[in-house]
Amino acid sequence: MSMAERVDNEAGFILHTRHYRETSLIVEILSRNHGRLALVARGARRPMSSIKSRLLGFQPLLLSWFGKGSLRTLHAAEWQGGDLRLQGRALMCGFYLNELLLKLLPTDDPHERLYDRYAQTLAALAGGNEAEPILRRFELDLLSELGYAQTLTHLIDGDEVRPERRYGYVFDRGVVVTEGGPGYAGKTLLDLATRDFSDPRTLAEGKLLMRALINHYLSDKPLLTRQLLIDLQQI
Amino acid sequence: MTPASLANLIEALRVLPGVGPKSAARMAYHLLQRERLGAARLATSLAGALEQLKPCVRCNNYSETEVCASCADPRRDPRLLCVVEMPADQNRIEETNAYRGHYFVLMGRLSPLDGIGPREIGLDRLVKRAQDGLTEEVILATNFTVEGEATAHYLGEMLKAKGLKVTRMARGLPAGGELEHVDAMTVAQALLDRKTL
Ligand SMILES: [Zn+2]
Repeated sequence: MSMAERVDNEAGFILHTRHYRETSLIVEILSRNHGRLALVARGARRPMSSIKSRLLGFQPLLLSWFGKGSLRTLHAAEWQGGDLRLQGRALMCGFYLNELLLKLLPTDDPHERLYDRYAQTLAALAGGNEAEPILRRFELDLLSELGYAQTLTHLIDGDEVRPERRYGYVFDRGVVVTEGGPGYAGKTLLDLATRDFSDPRTLAEGKLLMRALINHYLSDKPLLTRQLLIDLQQI
Repeated sequence: MTPASLANLIEALRVLPGVGPKSAARMAYHLLQRERLGAARLATSLAGALEQLKPCVRCNNYSETEVCASCADPRRDPRLLCVVEMPADQNRIEETNAYRGHYFVLMGRLSPLDGIGPREIGLDRLVKRAQDGLTEEVILATNFTVEGEATAHYLGEMLKAKGLKVTRMARGLPAGGELEHVDAMTVAQALLDRKTL
């Protein structure tokens, strides 16, 4: 990433912004063709700046930047339009997706498919659909895209997973015959592989498996937004 | 060799946002060379502010008294409570002369990705304040940023669970705004937030 680059009108979403120096912002974005990266929006916090109001999360933007390394400068942001509006709990779920991406996705690593899944996931959340299956699907897609999800339809030794049996999951290796412990139903693993969340047990066990995998790859760093979603449910 | 008291001053100035070692040194020399009176005034007013200002027990804004002048004002409508993020937001609403209810200043907002949760900004104090038996409506006037919206949602859930009426400040075209000259996102929001006549 040593060559200076200039990128115009790249499809992207804002994942997070934070203050930088007196008047600027550092903007973490997920772009379709350049992956996740951080840009400096110079002067964006000046009262007369018009760009800040367009640097809203969860909105499809066209972003333009130039520069090299970690000091790339955002110089334009255009809203792409649409009625994508995350409200209430869906908004909180959106923050959760962003935290997963910020903590798991390396920078400057393009993932076009993941970008499209992210956009679809936001649309599904904005559409007021039930959040849990949407989140599980996104977690699975994120883990697969990063190469962290092993096959769920077969055991490590190649045997097929049978719906009526129970199995264990070994990080970085895959499905094994369980030696005691709670484990996961074979049907859960097969449902996850086809992203079928119609069975409540698949949803419940899938949540446990996703949580275990995400915690493992985050090296047990806490997810702040997960706690917020739990707090919100307890009100 | 920098004398210890000068080094201390430079180090102390670095607590200001966006001030690195170089600007801190520039500020220190400026104060010592050209603004000795101003520097003395800065020192006493800073000490005075630290000594005298405490959060108002009712609205959480800075106050020299236990209950601030705004909260103690009997002409204000006790049925309305407006929640803002920062004191500057309260001042802005006051300038309009369009609101005569009470305030609560959060001194921040939920910012899930920065680790600022409900505990960090003490949302439960607001819930307690709103349950004074006089408040009939809580107006959420947090910013229309994603963090401000998250704060409004979270607060709304907390307050509604206590049986309080909660409203959200409206958003839309600016006063005197002409569609043609307003940015697209604002126009879209105004359409989504349309109301029945
Ligand atoms: Zn007060």
